[in-house]
Amino acid sequence: MDIYDIAIIGTGPAGVSAAITAKVREKSVLLIGETKLSSKMRKAKEILNWPGAYGVSGEELADRLHDHLAAMGVNVTEDRITAVYDMGGSFTLQGKSGEMYTARTVILAMGVVSAKSIPGEDELLGSGVSYCATCDAPLYRGKTAAVIAWSPEEEREARFLAGIASKVWYLPMYKGDVSFDADNIAVIGGVPTAIERGRLITDQGTYDADGVFVLRESVAPAKLIYGLDTDGAHVVVDRDMQTSVKGVFACGDITGRPYQYIKAAGEGNVCALSCVKYLD
Amino acid sequence: MLNTVVNNDLGAAKTAAKAFIDFNATWCGPCRMLAPIVDELADEYDGQVEFYSVDVDENPDLAQEYGVFSIPTLVVLKDGKAAAQKVGFIPKDALKSFIDNA
Repeated sequence: MDIYDIAIIGTGPAGVSAAITAKVREKSVLLIGETKLSSKMRKAKEILNWPGAYGVSGEELADRLHDHLAAMGVNVTEDRITAVYDMGGSFTLQGKSGEMYTARTVILAMGVVSAKSIPGEDELLGSGVSYCATCDAPLYRGKTAAVIAWSPEEEREARFLAGIASKVWYLPMYKGDVSFDADNIAVIGGVPTAIERGRLITDQGTYDADGVFVLRESVAPAKLIYGLDTDGAHVVVDRDMQTSVKGVFACGDITGRPYQYIKAAGEGNVCALSCVKYLD
Repeated sequence: MLNTVVNNDLGAAKTAAKAFIDFNATWCGPCRMLAPIVDELADEYDGQVEFYSVDVDENPDLAQEYGVFSIPTLVVLKDGKAAAQKVGFIPKDALKSFIDNA
């Protein structure tokens, strides 16, 4: 298995900028995110303060960043990281694809996620609340479970779970029709208001569930890696962009306001240089 | 040395002054990441703390007894009683403090 010098999670201006500087410094780089680069960035209409590109659209800037990476021989690995394991001296990153990646340093550049916990979620994590159906489903053999899903991809997880649990409540937090062939999965509506031991409560009803699987599109940074200090939705960093976990750095919106492309790119540059210093 | 528990039998761990139990399963990613760390610590704590690995599929009664709903679940037993319990992957240094402080 390849061990990269630097693994960068996120393909917005922060992650791309970090990748460029890391490459200039001749480090091996694993850039993980969207191959077309940040879809959020592509939606920006007009950017007025990116030096040298007055009024550029997010779409065009993303294309230019894409070309810049290509010219430097940096590839983007399409994946979503669900966990980072501190193995002492190196980090192992778990991809949603099932792939594992190993690197000596990690840069968190996946933007800010406003994933507020559901009341009861944090307290019951590990004792009735799980973030991974494929991990914990076998513990619910013959029991009841609920799945709160933010993406249609999780329907597969629910089907897997239904093959083990006796009953599955499926609460989609996304739009669109949802139906299952399995008769032990029931699709429910509403907004989750609380998770209690043995049940899920929404604004429309109460459902018996020994386990509640909370499957968000992005994992909150504090839950991604053990020991990471956060302040609300943001990761705490120092001037060198070092987080509370040695060898893990962060840049861009994830470190806090202002949420600006040029600030993200600047921090990405500092991040990469700090990684280089840490590695040498 | 890391002992592998079979037939739901944790009897030996319960008689030890201090024992560490790692509830895991072959299909669990974080468990596989934790396994080498537990292995190393089992050697480092040799003679001080007894280490046990419990596969929850093969020992369902024990998983039930200790209320294991998510794995890995890590339990420290002192004189047979659960003194501390933690869920999820934790790095080596943090795992050492968890065992030391239990």
